Parts: sequence; C-alpha cells; structure tokens
Amino acid sequence: MISAVILQIIGLSLFVFGFFPVKPALSGVRSLSSLSFSDFFLNQFPLITLSNNASGPESFYSDDDGDSDSVANHTQTSLPPHLLKSLYQELSGIHPSFDRLILMVTEFVLGKDGLPPREDFRGAMPYTQALLSNGMAIGYHAKAAPPTVTMPRLKAMVSGAIGGFLDVAFNFNTQAMLDDNLLGQFFRIGWKMVMLGDETWLKLFPGLFTRHDGVSSFYVKDTVQVDQNVSRHLESELNRDDWNLLILHYLGLDHVGHIGGRNSILMTPKLKEMDEVVKMIHLSTIQTRDNDQGKTLLVVVSDHGMTENGNHGGSSYEETDSLALFVGLKSDHSDYAASPCNSIYQVDIAPTLALLFDVPIPKNNVGVVISEAFDLLTDDKQLRVLELNSWQLLRLIQAQLPGLSCRNLPSHNGFTDGLASTIVECSGSMEKMLCCLYMNAVNLHSSWKSKSLSRSKSRDDYSCTVAAYHQFLKTASEWLSRRVTDKPVGLLAFGIVTMAVSSLTLLGLMICMSTEDQPGENQRLCNSITGMHKWSVNEIFLLGVMLILVMSMASSSMVEEEQYIWHFVLSTSYVLFLRKAVQPLASGSAKSLFKMMKGQTERHDICISSIILLLISGRILRGWHQGGVNWTYLPDISKWLEQAGVNHVRSIQLVSGLLVISLSMCALSLFGSRRKITRLFGLCFLICGLLVLWHLYHNNAFVSTSYDAAIQTQIIYAILGIATIGTFVALPWFIPLWFPSTCSELNVKSTSVTFDGQCIFSLVEFRDSSYLIGLAYIICWCLLQLLLQQPINSMPILLLLVQIFSSMLYFSCSGLQHIEVEVALLYYMGMAGHFALGNSNTLATIDVAGAFIGLSSHSMFLSGILMFIITYASPMLFLLSMLMYISVKCTSYLANHQNVDLGHLAKMILGFPCLVPVGLNSILLTSYTIVLVLMRNHLFVWSVFSPKYLYVCAATVCVYAGVFVVAATEIYTCSIIPERADSDADLTFDDGLSTCASFMASQQMNDVQPLSSYNNSAAICSNQDDFRQALINSINETTYNNSEARQLISEEESKLIAAKKHSMAECKRRSRINSQFATLRTILPNLIKVNKASVLEETIRCVKELTNTVSRLKEIYGGGRLECVFPAGADKLRIGSCEGKGQEVVKVVFSCDDKRKLLSDVARAVRSVKGKVVRAEMVTMGGRTKCVLWVQGINGNDELKMLKRVLNALTEKPNMARTSSKPKLTL
Amino acid sequence: MADQSKKEEEEEKENPSISISVPQAFLVHLISGLGLAISLWVAHNLYSINLVSHSSITLRLIWIVESATVILIYSRFRIDPQQCSYLKAVVRGILALPVGALVNALGAIALGAPVGIQYLPKTINWSLLMSSFTVAPAASVFGLSWTYWQRIFAQTKPNGPLEYMICIPAHGAVIGGWFGAWPMPLDWERPWQEWPVCVTYGAMTGYLVGMIVSSGFVLANGRRQRLKED
Repeated sequence: MISAVILQIIGLSLFVFGFFPVKPALSGVRSLSSLSFSDFFLNQFPLITLSNNASGPESFYSDDDGDSDSVANHTQTSLPPHLLKSLYQELSGIHPSFDRLILMVTEFVLGKDGLPPREDFRGAMPYTQALLSNGMAIGYHAKAAPPTVTMPRLKAMVSGAIGGFLDVAFNFNTQAMLDDNLLGQFFRIGWKMVMLGDETWLKLFPGLFTRHDGVSSFYVKDTVQVDQNVSRHLESELNRDDWNLLILHYLGLDHVGHIGGRNSILMTPKLKEMDEVVKMIHLSTIQTRDNDQGKTLLVVVSDHGMTENGNHGGSSYEETDSLALFVGLKSDHSDYAASPCNSIYQVDIAPTLALLFDVPIPKNNVGVVISEAFDLLTDDKQLRVLELNSWQLLRLIQAQLPGLSCRNLPSHNGFTDGLASTIVECSGSMEKMLCCLYMNAVNLHSSWKSKSLSRSKSRDDYSCTVAAYHQFLKTASEWLSRRVTDKPVGLLAFGIVTMAVSSLTLLGLMICMSTEDQPGENQRLCNSITGMHKWSVNEIFLLGVMLILVMSMASSSMVEEEQYIWHFVLSTSYVLFLRKAVQPLASGSAKSLFKMMKGQTERHDICISSIILLLISGRILRGWHQGGVNWTYLPDISKWLEQAGVNHVRSIQLVSGLLVISLSMCALSLFGSRRKITRLFGLCFLICGLLVLWHLYHNNAFVSTSYDAAIQTQIIYAILGIATIGTFVALPWFIPLWFPSTCSELNVKSTSVTFDGQCIFSLVEFRDSSYLIGLAYIICWCLLQLLLQQPINSMPILLLLVQIFSSMLYFSCSGLQHIEVEVALLYYMGMAGHFALGNSNTLATIDVAGAFIGLSSHSMFLSGILMFIITYASPMLFLLSMLMYISVKCTSYLANHQNVDLGHLAKMILGFPCLVPVGLNSILLTSYTIVLVLMRNHLFVWSVFSPKYLYVCAATVCVYAGVFVVAATEIYTCSIIPERADSDADLTFDDGLSTCASFMASQQMNDVQPLSSYNNSAAICSNQDDFRQALINSINETTYNNSEARQLISEEESKLIAAKKHSMAECKRRSRINSQFATLRTILPNLIKVNKASVLEETIRCVKELTNTVSRLKEIYGGGRLECVFPAGADKLRIGSCEGKGQEVVKVVFSCDDKRKLLSDVARAVRSVKGKVVRAEMVTMGGRTKCVLWVQGINGNDELKMLKRVLNALTEKPNMARTSSKPKLTL
Repeated sequence: MADQSKKEEEEEKENPSISISVPQAFLVHLISGLGLAISLWVAHNLYSINLVSHSSITLRLIWIVESATVILIYSRFRIDPQQCSYLKAVVRGILALPVGALVNALGAIALGAPVGIQYLPKTINWSLLMSSFTVAPAASVFGLSWTYWQRIFAQTKPNGPLEYMICIPAHGAVIGGWFGAWPMPLDWERPWQEWPVCVTYGAMTGYLVGMIVSSGFVLANGRRQRLKED
C-alpha cells in the first residue's frame, strides 16, 4: 500500500515534471509577447503620442516667422473663448460662412465602384438624391483607413489622424481622446455642443457636451430603439438656437447590417427613416437662414462601410467605402450640374471642417482640405486655406524628421524671376522631395500675391499655385499616412528572442520526452512489433504540416485563405491514415488461419470506418462555409441553406441539437449505463440539453432581445456551469471504487493483476473519471455553442463532435507509439474546425451579435468572454477532448503492458496532451511574430497581417486556457483518487473480511471500454504463454508477501490483532484467489457467466480447445514430417547430426525467448566455433522463438560441445522484460 | 543475412514470370511518355484546344490516348501469362479504368475538389486520366491479385523492375497532383488556377518525373542483379 502511494507520488511528481517546464515558458511567452506586441504597435504610430496639447494660434503662422511662438505662448492660455475665436478669425483671414454645424453620422449604402446603388435603395432616399442632383449637396466617397471599426474612425474624422491598429482592441474599451481634435478646438472657442446617439462620443469626449443622450451600441439586435432615442430630441433641438454643434449618431443602419447584411429587408425602411431626418434638418436650416440666425452646415458622414454580410472591420472596398455629404455649402443651385461622386479620404473631413469654421487644424491631421468646400470664397482665401493646411502638414513632417529644414534650399530668391525659374524639378529622397514641393508652392503663392498686389493677376498663375499646393499636400499626406517610423529594435529583438527561446525550450522538451520514450518502448515491444517504432509516412507528414504552415504565413494571400491549407492538410493526413489502416489487412495470409485473429480484423474495420467518417465529416465541414477573403462569393452549404429559408435553418438547428445530445448519450452509454453515477450524470446533462433545445425552439434569433429570453439564457448558463463544475469536483470523490455487494452480479473484470495491483487499480479509477469529466466538458461546451452560435453553425458543431468521437475510436485502436503526433492531429483538427465555423483571418467575421445573448446588462467583460467563446469554439472543444484522449490511451496502455510504470505512463500520457499543443502554438506564435516584423513595410500589413496576428495571440490564449483546464483536472483527479483509495483500503482493513475479497479485482472492464476490448481480448487471449502463466498463477497461492504491514499499533491492541491475524491472512489469501479469478475473467474470451465455477469451467474448456488447436496446427504445418514448428514453452536445445551432401551437417534446434539481437548473437556464437550456417528456419510467436539451424563445419565431439555451450549461454540468458505480445509468424 | 538472401531468392522463384529487361523497361516508359506528349500535341495543334480553355475535352483526349497506350503496353507484361491471355489482360485493364476513376474522384473530392454539376464532367475526365496513370497499368499486370495491390499501393514496397515501373510513376502522379493543388486558392486570378487544370499539370509532371526515377531504379536493379549473377 505504501509502495503504491509512493508510486503515485512519483507518478504525480513525474507528471508535474513533465508539465512544470511549460509554466515558466508560458508566462514568459505571454508577458513578452504582449509587451512586444503593444510596443510594436504603439511605436508604429508616434502620431498618437506626438503632442497632447492642442494647437493654438501658432498654426496660423508659418514657421518662418520668428515671432509666432511668443504670440502663441501669450495668447493660448490667457484668452477667454470669445476673444480666442475672434483672434482665430483675424489670424486665419478666412471669414467663416457658417455658424452652426450639424454632424450626422450614419451608414448609407453606397454604390460599388462609383456605380449608383440599387434602385430600391435610391428610391428609399428621395430627398437626399434630390439634394445631390440639384447641387445643394456635395457627396463624396470617403475612403476610410482600416480597421473599419467605429471608434478609430470617429477619431480619424475629428483629428484627421490615422489611428494605430490597437484602437480596434480599445474599441470595446473606449477611452477619452486626449489628442488635438476638432471638438476640443470648438470647445475652446466657446461652442456649445449637443450629442445624440452612440455613446462612444461621450466616452471619447467626456465633459464637452452641454446636452447629450447616449445610446449603447452594443445591443446589436436592436434596430428601432437606438434611432428613436436620437430622433425624439431632434425637433426640439432644431428649434433651439443655443448650440453650435449638433452631433447625431444613428446606429440603426449599422445594426441592420450586422443582423441581415446589405440586402436585409429592414434596410429600405431604415434608409427612408434616415432620409426623413435629412429632410427635416435641411428644411429647418433653410428656415433658420431665413430668420438670420446664421448659416448652418449639415455634414452627413458614415464611419465605415459594410460588406455584403453587413460586417465590417477589414479593408475590403465595401468596408472602407464610407460617405461624406456636405449639405448647404451652396445656396445658389442654379448653374450646378450634378457632379459624379468624387473620392476623398476620410481624414480630409477634419481639416475641411476646421478651416470652414476658423479653428486651427488639429496637429496630427494628415488629411488634405476638400477644395470644393471653399469654392464660394475668393481666390486669395482659397489659397490661404491651402497655405494653412500646408503649414500644418509641414509642421507634422518636421516633427517626424527633426533635421528637416526647408530654408537651406536656394529657392527663396526665385519669385522675382518669374514662373519658369521657380518650378524646380523635384526628385531625390522623400525628404528633399517634400521640401522642394513645399517651396515650389510657397514661391508660386508669393509670386501670385505680389502680382495680385500689382493688379496683374491671371487665372493661370492661380491655378498653377493651387496645383502646386495640391501636389505638396497630396504627397505629404500620403507620405505621412504611410509612414512607418523607427521601432525600438532592441526591445523587439529581445521580445522575439525570448519567444524563440521559449518555443525552442518547449520543442526540446517534446523531443526529449519522445526520444526518452522510444528506447523503453523498443525494449518492451521489440519482440512482437518489430519495425513499428520507425516513423511512418503519415507521422512525418503531420510534423511537416508545421513547416508548411510556417512557410505559408509569409504570403498574404495564403494568410487570407488559411482555411484551405488546414482543410487540405488535414484531409491529406486522413487519407494517409486510411492508407496505413489498409496496410496490414492481409499482409500475412497465414494469419487468417488463426481463428483468434478475428478480433484483429474487426479492429481494422473499426479503424477504417472511423477514418472514413472523419473524411466525410471533414469534407462537409469544409463545404459549410466558404471563408477567406477572395472567394467568399463562391457558393457553400450555409449560403444555400440561408437562401432556402429561415425555417430550414431552424429545423436543422433543432435536429443537430437533438443529435448532439443523443450522440453524447451514446458515448456515455459506452461507458456503462448500469452504474448509478453514470445514470445520474446522464440525467443531469440530458436535462441541460433539453433545456437548451427548448430555448432554441422558443426563441427566434431575431426576437431574443426580450428580458425573459435573457433570463432563460442565464438560467441555462448557470445550470450548465453547475453541472460541469459539479462533475469536475465531485466525480473523483464518487466514482465507485468497488461494489462489494453487487460484485458477483455485475460483470466484473479486471484488466490485469500484477504486484502493483494498487497502482493499476487507481489507474483504472483515473481513467474512468477522466473519461467522464472529459465527456462532461465536451457536452457542456457543445451545448453552450448551440446556444451561442448562429443557427447555421449548429450543424458544424455536430460534425465536430462526430469528428471527436470517431478520432477517439481510431486512437483507441492505434498503439502507444507517437502520442505526440496524434495530439498534434487533434490540435490541427481544432484549427480546421475554427475555420469551418465561418471564421477567417479578417476581423469582419467575428460574430458580434452572438456576444450579447443572455446578457441583461451591458458588460464589456462578459460580452468579450462570450465573443471569445464563440470564436474559439472548435480549438477549445478539441483541447477539452484531450481528457477523453488521455482516458483512451490509458486503456490501450493497460491492454498492452502488464508491468505498469505509473511514472512513465503519467509522463507519456499526461505530459504530451498538455505539452504538444502549447509547443505547436508557441512555434506558430514565434514564427508569425518574425514574419510580422519582416513584413512591417508590406502593403497589407494593416489589413492582412495584423488581424492575423491578433488571431494568433487569441489562439495562444485559447490554448493556454484549454491546457490549463486539462492539466488542472488531471492533477486534481490524480491527487484525489489515490487518497480515496488509501482511506477506503484502511476502512476495509478494519471492517474485516467481507469487502476485502474484491479489493484488487473489481472493475467493470467490459463496460468501460468496448472501444478497446477487441484489442484487449485479441492481444491477450491469443497469447498462449500469458494464458498459461495466468493459469499457473491462479493455481499457485503459496507465496505471501508480508511487506504491507499496518501502521503503528499500540500494545494494547496487540491481542486483538493477534486474533485478527488469522482473519487477515485469510483475507489476503482470498484476495489473491479473487484477483487471479479476475485475471481469468479478463483473459477468457466469450465468458458469459462470471461466477467462479463457470470461470473454471470455461478455463478448462479453453485449455482443451487450445491444445486441440495446437495439435491441428502441428498437423497442418509439420504434416508429421517435421517436429512441431512452434516454439516450445520451455527453453530447449537439441543438437543432432544429419547427412548433408558429402559434408557433415549438424542440425541445431532450440527454443528461447525472443529478444533483441538474437539472430546476430546466434550468428556470432556459431561463428565463434567456426561453424557456417547453411540453412535456417525460424518461427517467432508470442515472444518465443524457435530456431532450426543447419550448421556446417562442425567436426568432432569437442566442437559440438562447444557449440552447445555457447548456444546454451545464449538462450538461457534471463530476459525480464517480457510483455504480452501479438503473435507474429515469420517464415 | 543468410536468411534475407534466401528469402529474396525464394520470392524470385515464386514469380518467375515477372521478367522485364532494362531496355524493355526504358521502351515502355518512353512509349507511355510519348503517348502523353502526342495527345497534348494533337490537342494543341489539330484541335487547337488546351487545358485552360477546354479542360474537359482536352482531358478526355489525353486520357483516351494515354489509357490505350498504357493498357496495351503493360498487358504484355502480365504476371500470369499462363492463365491469362493478352486479350484478357487488356480487358481487365479497361474494366479497372472506371473503378480506379471512382477511387480517384472520391479521393479528390475528399481533399476538397469542388462538387457541382458544372464541375462533374471535368472531375470525371480528370479522374479517368488519373486512373490511367495509376490503376490501369497495375490492373493489366496484376489482375485481381490483392497482395500485389496492397504491397504496391498501401505499403509502397515494390520489388523487381516491373513493380518499380508501376509503383513509382503512379505515386509520382498522385504526389504531383497534390502539389499541383496548392496554388488553387491563391488570388492571382489566373485561368489555370481553376480545378482541375493545375492539378492535371502537377499530376502529369509528377508522372513524368516518376517515370524517370523508376528508370533509374530499374537500371540500378539490373546492375545489381548482374553483379549477383557474377
């Protein structure tokens, strides 16, 4: 008992040893990756950190004027708003034509590539169309920069700067905007601002608004209420005149897009509603103008576009194509012909608005003013506008290139000489080019000014100047927006090196563990399964997959279409596994002679059918979603179903829900349905499943905003959580150790009994509980996904479950070699499933709508977790299935090994499932980080590589979470069960005789794993030697090992103990008898009754049958001509002589244990006596070898004796490492 | 060592019918390679079609020529000339063609070939071509002898020049087709990225490479044989 405990501790510590090195690397990777990640991205854009204070009056001076700084410093802090306003007006020289601004943010559906939008959408907004066509409004296609998510786009619109990629991450955690921006500028000149709509504005600009009514943008399913909340204030606000800026942010169209896509039926009414709003505002602004309340400018912008599916976040044309509509710029709509929609950049809105309203352009702006907006101004004012913008951009350039100074260029003296000399051909480095362009523009401007003073201005000069300014502005803007600045090379390199080191450590550990495994395995299995330890094609392929993936990451189109790689690689490996399964089918026709080999072929059938199942389900999964970027328009099953109608989708959802439940119940019944605990467990999860189904049945996805539905969902969450955690906590405590009373009734079998009975015993417990807990995790996760995922995804969930079960079936047939490869296969399957659920490497495919199911209040944290759960459903599912995998492998371990080395087992079986996913993931993470650094100047770095990096990081988190759950469960189970076993054993000791009997034996082996019972029975039963040994063991019961003494016992109890001693001895004897009976029960095939008499009866029958078989086979093979070709049970050596052709030939026959290098040893031995083998026959079976040699060149008795001696020495070498082994006939 | 050589000798005695000399092997490869080249040439010059423009028709032309060549040639080297006449070998090669095509088509679909009415003729023709690369010669030579099939296609353990000549080009065609599928999902928007164009190119390249490699093996094998005889 103590030794068992010690073994357990060793196993546990070995497990910890196998697992522990993961932990420091884990934290190392995580912290460093996050560190370098954020540094990497933050440093991409120093624009953000350039300056925190707003630009003041100095922006109206050129840098060349030396006195501007002093003026700025004086004025900025001291002036009250109205004075500042007048100062700005005076300085800028552009007198604003507008007093009030209405900024309306919504999402209009725009036409593709300049084409007009669909006819019904056009019809839905007649007023806006009319405005456009009669020139009252100017519309633009404003190209937004990716990521097309609300908050970065709002920031871009008000500050003119292009945000960093990390803004996406902050989108769900909006923070106040500290940079220089339009709203801040307006606030400083004393504007009153009102905001209605998306509360992102309130978070970005806290305290700036005098009145506001924010709505949350996170209830994606709400399309009506969000807009009503805005419109209800509109009329009263329009009638008031105490505001200067009114921001209306309508979310309805965005939500409609998220729910139903571009072509949703809700789209047209929503557009009509928006058109009504535009009409109302415009009519009222006309009214106010008539009332001389100042002119009002209405600017309608959209923050981003949307894809066909209505999602956004990526960088496709549809997503970046947003709208900018200026209404009211032109009052006279007489000679205006409807111009085609021009395209601008979204950042251009900020400087335009700033100059229209006479405030300084925000410092970090990279946009260019929209010149049409200033058409009403005089020429000099228009040039002034361009000049101001140029100064601002130049200042930004100078901030980024500290050494840049344009004064060095010899062009100041040029303007008097006329136009020709001033236009310098601009070439050379980017800095010089920018400078030169700027100087050109300035010179032209000043020459124009001087000419205008002399009243000789010409239209030509003016347009030249404008063109020069535009050239500079455009170049500068592009240069700035594409600028990738220096990164802290040291820090980046350090991060990468640390990640590389950690992944190398993990890799080394993996290799170390697998090579450590191999020799041991070789020793054990070399007798029977020679050559199996060689790496086969599919294993090499699975490792090569990693290489393929890493290489494919460097190509942007491969990253976009990553799902093809996963599916292709995975189905190829299925095909390779199929090929492997077909291989041994009929490799030896001799095998078919053995009727006992029936089990073997049956096993192959299971293997093949499970792989075919894997192939089919993998193909359907692949066809379900046409993911990726370039081929999304191709037809797939999900689109087809969605076209077929909502009812079909719902019925499929319900059917797959039912199938998920029934499938998991099937898996449970494989475990053994008769046990109480299984029944309880099954009932529990059946209730959960039915609840989920009921919920799905009653709640249409479109109406589930109601409070009741949220409550229902919360109840289901709670029940699922309780059931799973309850199983996890309670199962190790309550899993039955034995059934004393029902022992004889139940079909009790034990796997095998050794001197480490205790150890094996708790191993069985461990296996059972990990099977059940793993099943619980899987069921819970599947039900959760059924609840959360879109209805169309419920079928893929079912298919993934099928894949898990069939791969478990396959793995239960395969041996213990290369566990790491099988774990890697599971990991790959998880990743392929990730894409099969419709995910891709763009942010647009994240299912935002699902993240709010069952949340009654808005919580960033919870919805983030839900989103993570939805996105990483499949990898997590496969990681959780590792528990089942461990249990399955335990079984095959038990079947193959009699001497259970728990430490070895723990290291191999528990270490790999945790280590391999972490290791593979760390390789991917490291290599992708390197790729990202290499690709930092690539055109697609923001649209393709960065989203992929976010996905890789999230996958890392997912792997860590999954592995942590698996490891925690296993450690917990490992620590509970031995304790329980011990305490229960003590109890038994005190109680006395009755329960002792079944101490070693009781396990419901045949119920537990029918998966492997073929393997088990086939392997063991066909092994004659083991069978004999077991018989001998069961008959022999003389030796008694007294090492398991009790603890310290006081003297007073000694008498009692003396009395008990006899009963204890009796107990032990019985337990030994019982254990041997249990062994018999395990190894006897076709055992129907399990009581002792039947077992003995069956044993006798079996022995007789075997004897008969042996004699029959003797007849077949020997045919009476030769002696038995089968190796004898005992070691034998016979030497006789027979006649050769002219020469004396000695015939040597011996039987011995098969072992490594037997043949070479024999050859050496024969050679040592100068003999020469002229013919040899060998038979190996069941670990025994029979060898018949015809040796030439042995002359005389002495040499004969020598030969005998050396061969004796050879064959009688003790060989301890014997295993049960599959018979193999080699001829 | 003694055992091994004995085994080999025994096996050679078991199937004495498989004998193909080195020049014969070269000739067989040359003819089947020429068949492929001629069919491509005919498609290009006589009908002025190619794989990209008329993939289905071109594939049909190629597989008809190639399978006829292969079956007619390989039937001469059937393993059981005593029991099986030349005609019978040809017939079983022809019968095996659609069966092998079915297997190939299923494999391609499992690996992700598009399913749909508009792809059906392409897939059928492609799989018939693959079948004439892989299954048809083996069927002509081995017939229904399951052990040979298993040794060559499941275990890839050919021995003897004839088995090399069947095994290596067949594997080359399959592996070439596998590699040929890689550019399909890329966004280069070239016409040859369509199913089954680049896969066919890959398979044909793999087949030719396989024939060259197997010629090398046959040559090496022949030399070893001769050394042993000496």
